[in-house]
Amino acid sequence: MEGFRGQERELLQAAQARGEDPVSAHGFELETAKPAAPPSNPAVGAAGAALDLLNRLLMRLSMLAMIATSLVLTYSVVTRYLFRSATDWQDEVAVFMLVGATFICAAWVQGARGHIGIEALSSILPPSVNRVRLFLVDLFSLLFCAFFSWKSWTLFHEALNEGQTTSSTLGSPLWIPYSLMAFGMTLLTLQILLQIAAQLTQRKTAP
Amino acid sequence: QTTTIKISHQFPGGTMEQGDFRDRLTRMFAAEVEKRTKGSLKFEIYPGSSLMKTNAQFSAMRKGALDMSLVPLSYAGGEVPETNIGLMPGLVTSYEQGAKWKDAEVGKELSRILNEKGVVIVSWIWQAGGMASRGKPIVEPTDAKGLKVRGGSREMDMILKEAGSAVVTLPSNEIYAGMQTGAMDAALTSSTSLISFRLEEVSKALTTGRGKSYWFMLEPLMMSKAAFDRLSKDQQAAVMAVGAEMEAFALKAAKADDVQVANVYQKAGAQVVDLNDATVKRWQDIARTTAWKDFAGKNENCSKLLKLAEKTL
Amino acid sequence: MSPLTIGMLYAVATLVIMFSGMPIAFALGAVATVFMYFFMPASSLDTVTQNVYEEMASITLLSIPLFILKGAAIGKSPAGRDLYAAIHVWLHKVPGGLAIANVFACALFAAMAGSSPATCSAIGSAGIPEMRKRGYSPGFAAGVIAAGGTLGILLPPSITMILYAVAAEQSLGRLFLAGIGPGVLLVALFAGYAVYRAHKEYRMAYAAYQSSGTASAYLEKEHFTLPQKVEMLPRVLPFVVLLIGVMIALYGGYATPSETAGLGALLALALMAAVYRIWKPKDVAPILSSTIKESTMLLFIIGMSLLYSYVMSYLHISQSAAQWVVGLHLSKWVLLAVILLMVVVLGFFLPPVSIILMTAPIILPPLRDAGFDLIWFGIVMTIVMEMGLIHPPVGLNIFVIKNIAPDIPLRDVIWGVMPFVGLMLVAVVLLCVFPEISTGLPNMVMGVK
Ligand code: NA
Ligand code: NA
Repeated sequence: MEGFRGQERELLQAAQARGEDPVSAHGFELETAKPAAPPSNPAVGAAGAALDLLNRLLMRLSMLAMIATSLVLTYSVVTRYLFRSATDWQDEVAVFMLVGATFICAAWVQGARGHIGIEALSSILPPSVNRVRLFLVDLFSLLFCAFFSWKSWTLFHEALNEGQTTSSTLGSPLWIPYSLMAFGMTLLTLQILLQIAAQLTQRKTAP
Repeated sequence: QTTTIKISHQFPGGTMEQGDFRDRLTRMFAAEVEKRTKGSLKFEIYPGSSLMKTNAQFSAMRKGALDMSLVPLSYAGGEVPETNIGLMPGLVTSYEQGAKWKDAEVGKELSRILNEKGVVIVSWIWQAGGMASRGKPIVEPTDAKGLKVRGGSREMDMILKEAGSAVVTLPSNEIYAGMQTGAMDAALTSSTSLISFRLEEVSKALTTGRGKSYWFMLEPLMMSKAAFDRLSKDQQAAVMAVGAEMEAFALKAAKADDVQVANVYQKAGAQVVDLNDATVKRWQDIARTTAWKDFAGKNENCSKLLKLAEKTL
Repeated sequence: MSPLTIGMLYAVATLVIMFSGMPIAFALGAVATVFMYFFMPASSLDTVTQNVYEEMASITLLSIPLFILKGAAIGKSPAGRDLYAAIHVWLHKVPGGLAIANVFACALFAAMAGSSPATCSAIGSAGIPEMRKRGYSPGFAAGVIAAGGTLGILLPPSITMILYAVAAEQSLGRLFLAGIGPGVLLVALFAGYAVYRAHKEYRMAYAAYQSSGTASAYLEKEHFTLPQKVEMLPRVLPFVVLLIGVMIALYGGYATPSETAGLGALLALALMAAVYRIWKPKDVAPILSSTIKESTMLLFIIGMSLLYSYVMSYLHISQSAAQWVVGLHLSKWVLLAVILLMVVVLGFFLPPVSIILMTAPIILPPLRDAGFDLIWFGIVMTIVMEMGLIHPPVGLNIFVIKNIAPDIPLRDVIWGVMPFVGLMLVAVVLLCVFPEISTGLPNMVMGVK
């Protein structure tokens, strides 16, 4: 049962949501998903640090998008009631901002291993087998995300070429959200790739 | 050797005899084509968006990932701007005029454009719509002034805004709740949807699409060109022939829904009003300077389509 | 290959890859894509990304991050502790009052937050130590919080209900209202049990005192003066303002459900800034980052499960499964029991979000055909999924408790929650006999459907 690491991660988030450090005021320590040791390979380390920096920046942007979305939706309620004016662009703006925030933060969440999974096996398997399992899990995740990134870029390309728009009243260009999706999925793929690289280079230096 | 064709649509599933006429139409079509092709074509029908999201159907057909779909053409408006002509306020004002499209220049041109985009129109289906409201019936454009109205499409929203309404966007499963709480005052949609959303329980008035209306929607049965090209000549002929035969059924059923919606609302105690030539004309005038102009400005194809369509008026 | 064979393959592949530990989102997407490659036209692979985008770009689904934000804004502040303290001061004379105060605090918090673990940890971190200090048995204290926390998905707003409303094409506003009656019922059942259990523990403590002279903290009397009581009242105010504000906006016809999500989040942030002085960027950042983390994770699962169910539908797996269920010709209630049993079994391993996304396409059509009101069923299913949150082997809320109070043995926690699982079962039976408990309120407010 200790293996359900994803859930413990969620708890950590809940604690953070309460503004508590993992070592909380109640005198207990949440078992966090232990961050991997810093990569021993300098190239991997540097790439990781760079991606991390970018991720943090994107996260800040997404925070702003979140607040802006709340403001926009509230604005839509207020104007409709005070001025009886049309509220037709708010939904679209909200959708673009939240979908965008979701995709461009996916790599950051993956960096903290925040995409939950059932890790019931990790406590049963011997450590050596477990390492192989984790490697395979990351490899398959990498393949899927790489495929998804590729298809997102083709979708983006299509939308840009054909001038596709949403079918709403606003009719905004679809390349905007598609580019955010493609960019976010690419970063996510890179993030997993770096995590695998870190694992592989780690094993060689520290058997 | 049999080929299985998948038909997807967003309407409630039923049988050949009962239910939403658009679902019935796909089932009748499937049975008849199967019969005529001696079982070499078989069909699987996916009602209620059970195969894919409503908005993904058109694109999937273009790419050949979906064989057939019965869907409002204008839903593809973002992807293929020309399709917006399928729900252009006041451009079609009666079933008789709509029926002319298929063989008129506008129909040929629309078919050509869709063919280029990878889609074949198999059956031309038109549907009228009306407006349910919580207060007085909305007949003239001036009646809509100051009300919160759900137009349901970009072009309808444009004329409503011009008429002075506060346009509301709301997913269709929230329409009932929105009308109940007063988040919206009126909803403009097809007769069939007006019935299935059960808005009569929360409405005081209905403006019907019986006879004349400025709300006519092209909702064709379409096939992916990739799937169509894979068929033999005989199979293609059977598909197109049965598709054409279904148009008479669709016309009868759509008109029946226009009458039924009026009865349902009347029975619920709502005031039921029809539009006449003069009122439709006033909505049309608004549309001409807003939605039509906007559409024609999109590209050359659109502007040409609009001119050809105006010839059928 | 027949749909049955492919269906079996699909199920086995899903089980293997899920238990391999691959993140749920990637696992669903990967299984779907691989099956697409082998069993569907090649062009299907070109539609993958657009389908996922279309699924996510729904304004209803996107209210999920905003509801999470609202919960996080309150959860981050000391509001949970204050709320609970205020209720306690007023209820301390009632036998088991402390436990009832915890149940009430959970319920009120649940009415703000969209998820259960959030509710559990916000109230439990103050409530469990307090109950134990007062001599409540650790298992009982843990049970109250674990069970009270599950109300997070039954009392509106609720993330799982949003998903259900989209899948079942039901009105979210109506579904939210339908959860209130059963929520109150569960609160009453939990509180009733708390009184009974506290009484029992009190008597045992008293007997122990008489025979051995060791006085449990149970036997200490607490006293609060009236001014003390009145002083506590304003602490509940932010909650009441937020709750009433959001309700009026939604049901008074001022806002759509998704607008309410934005309004609620903004109102919560504003209240936290005004009452608890949480407004500096460095104070607000943790709220937002935890919201982004959770909602990104959830929306990825939601988007990818669209692919998963698309493949299931295309290969006729869901239809065949549904036809198979219909073909069994079960009577209405046996059908319901079988489906709920399946939800319970899935609840052993999967979080409610995944259960809804994966089962809705299969279970909803037969239920609709059998004549069940899908709003009502959504509520019953939610309660059954609540049971899954507190029953072993994998119960999200049990993990929350284990982290709040690591010294309570898991055995005690599990025994502590069991009576509450029983009470939820009672609630399900009551809902079957008296569906009006759920449907009454929405029918009253929004008209009979
Ligand atoms: Na809630
Ligand atoms: Na469980």
